[in-house]
Amino acid sequence: MIPRPHAAEPAAEPAILLAQVVKRYGAHRALAGVDLQVRRGEKLVICGPSGSGKSTLIRCINALERHDAGRIVVNGIALTNDEGTVQDIRQEVGMVFQHFNLFPHLTALENCMLAPRLNRGLSKAQAEKLALAHLERVHLADQARKYPARLSGGQQQRVAIARALCMEPRILLFDEPTSALDPEMVKEVLGVIEELAASGVTMICVTHEMGFARRVADRCVFMDRGEIVEEGDAARFFEAPESERLRHFLAQILR
Amino acid sequence: MTNLSLADLAGYLRQLGEGALITLELFFASFALAFVLGVLIGVATLARSRVIRAAWRVYASIFMGVPSLLVIFLIFYGGSAMLAAVLGEFGARIDISPFGAGVAALGIVYSAYVAELVRGAIENLPKGQFEGARALAIPPFIMWGRVILPQVMRLALPGLVNVWSFMLKETPLVSLAGLQDLVAATKIAAGATKEPFIFFVATALVFIAFSAASLWLANRLEVRLDRGQRRAPVRSPAQAEA
Repeated sequence: MIPRPHAAEPAAEPAILLAQVVKRYGAHRALAGVDLQVRRGEKLVICGPSGSGKSTLIRCINALERHDAGRIVVNGIALTNDEGTVQDIRQEVGMVFQHFNLFPHLTALENCMLAPRLNRGLSKAQAEKLALAHLERVHLADQARKYPARLSGGQQQRVAIARALCMEPRILLFDEPTSALDPEMVKEVLGVIEELAASGVTMICVTHEMGFARRVADRCVFMDRGEIVEEGDAARFFEAPESERLRHFLAQILR
Repeated sequence: MTNLSLADLAGYLRQLGEGALITLELFFASFALAFVLGVLIGVATLARSRVIRAAWRVYASIFMGVPSLLVIFLIFYGGSAMLAAVLGEFGARIDISPFGAGVAALGIVYSAYVAELVRGAIENLPKGQFEGARALAIPPFIMWGRVILPQVMRLALPGLVNVWSFMLKETPLVSLAGLQDLVAATKIAAGATKEPFIFFVATALVFIAFSAASLWLANRLEVRLDRGQRRAPVRSPAQAEA
């Protein structure tokens, strides 16, 4: 067997590392000491009942919520209270929200151009070219000049995905990206996310779309009461859940 | 009917015009001060610091509670002494003009109202707007300038138009500190000619005209700030099929 050449050193390092991460809201522990490692290029799906801490978990990764204890390392950068470090991590991590969070006073194109112009020092023309390329990637180049209110929910969420892509992040976080959508729009958004998954980006997606999880996820994680209860590859996760809590949860959502 | 000669009338009208100019300068300067100060204070009051919140409550209760006229007098008659005390022996004695006192007083008083409007509008914005900007690593200063405040202005516009109208109507108070504004000039002309009705009505018309122009401008501004806010028209099934 041909010995494999030494992989580049960073490849061995996980894209995201969480060690004993704790987040408290008053007396309530939203995260009760979570350990999780995500490999580069891995697609991870997190599911769990509401209030299980799954959104809190991914919001801690880009410091939208500050964790109270434990260690978070993103692409080799340890998350501290230092604002510069936080900004460095946010440059590496794109996020897509349940409610899109597009800026309503800017067009789809302007939404996509704002951050790259500020953070990557692109000229207006360069930023526009980049934004149009990513809008094309989510099949919305023809809607670029419209304001968000003129777009359907599915289109708005795809603009939000393009906006995150314009920072060319190596990690993408999705926080229930289809939960606020009308049923007929879920497919177009999941389709775009699946296309992205094929590009090699590291991805964490909080979702209850189990069909999507089976097709895309390398690994599924089940959270309950601030803990990771069970994890495994998608097939085993759904067909042979080990814990009673996951069996109960799957029975609830699959009905 | 009137014993006012044309030459006299022209002279008084010129004085009224000069007074109107001073009134407008006073108004624009104090509105600008109220706006800038109010936005800064409105943003600052959102801080979680207890000291800042307590300071805001004191500020708001003073300037929303005390009559504007009193604040004008306080700054006009007491301002020189206050400045001297702050600057100490090094500061040269600074006399405060009626105009300066008026701008400072109206600007400070109405900044409290502007701050209240801005604060309310910011609190009504979805939290997701801040999170969206933070997740994109947009620095705080630019987040406020490009993302948050443009939306705040749209929400606060009706209230700001009210502040604008009230402030205009309060400007004549500064004539009581000796400013030769439109109302002061009117009073002189009315007294000298014994034609109070003509002059006071003329001045009232000037205020009405300015107010009407303001409303027209506010509507234009509203249309501009509302861009992007119209919902998509609901498509009928037939159109959707096509």
